[in-house]
Amino acid sequence: MLKIFSSSNIYFFIQKLIKFINSIFFLILLIGLTFALVLSPPDYLQGDAVRIMYVHVPSAWIGLACFSVITFLSIFNYIFKIKNFYFINKSIAPIGLLFTCLAIVTGSLWGQPTWGTWWAWDARLTSMLALMLFYIFYILSFKFLNKEELIIKVSSIIAIIGSINLPIIKYSVEWWTTLHQPASIKITGSNSIHSEMMLPLMVMLLVFLLYAALIFLMKYKTEIIRIKKKNIKRS
Amino acid sequence: MISNFITMNGYGLYVWLSFSVVFISCAVVYVKTKKTLKKYEQDFLTELQALTLEEKNKALENSKVAQQILAASSEAN
Repeated sequence: MLKIFSSSNIYFFIQKLIKFINSIFFLILLIGLTFALVLSPPDYLQGDAVRIMYVHVPSAWIGLACFSVITFLSIFNYIFKIKNFYFINKSIAPIGLLFTCLAIVTGSLWGQPTWGTWWAWDARLTSMLALMLFYIFYILSFKFLNKEELIIKVSSIIAIIGSINLPIIKYSVEWWTTLHQPASIKITGSNSIHSEMMLPLMVMLLVFLLYAALIFLMKYKTEIIRIKKKNIKRS
Repeated sequence: MISNFITMNGYGLYVWLSFSVVFISCAVVYVKTKKTLKKYEQDFLTELQALTLEEKNKALENSKVAQQILAASSEAN
């Protein structure tokens, strides 16, 4: 049963998955962009500036989701010493950093026409900035530490401390008075977003998820090759 | 209509800049990641070719990943 998860099987599966994502990605991207830039209606208050939401919201969600996965796998890795989780985390972190940065930049570009400012030190924006810093420290731990055991220890601690920030980001708009609007989409309860905007948002989320998966698979494949290269003479 | 699409009723600068920043950053990360992957594949193949015939056969026999990288490189060539 565990043979399914051998690196050769994973490698084979990754190759197939990369080919599959490449084959559908541009079609879904085209559909997403058509919905986001042409078909979706302007907001009654924000006008066409609301279209920034179609890149800002998926970026923020993926930035948060990546750190949640990293935290979860770090805890498991710290307890059970599953080496694969270390490589998965190493591959996910740059994707999380990219999307967190994009969420901050696009949020700033959305803030100027709607709030009249590029940046405010309010709870949501500041906690997102803190998330970006945690990602940077996390990635730096891989770059500057040499011993693998030490890397796992330090990076796990950074991930666990950073995870405290995740509920702060999520609930900052409810706990404090912020410029940022409260969540329009809730997993439980009703959404305050019209279906004509919800559909493009979901398609763009799919585009971003596919892109994130593609980068993750390529990075993970690189990690497998790196390990195999190290062991080539021993095999 | 096209002019409205470009100007986005006065929000064009912010909307187009947001989309451009996202897509340019994503494209740069994609190209960089792909380049690194190719480099590692190439380095792996170089190392594999540097082995003696016996070592190479043993490595290929024991590692399906090595077989797959070699097969992919011959496909590409």
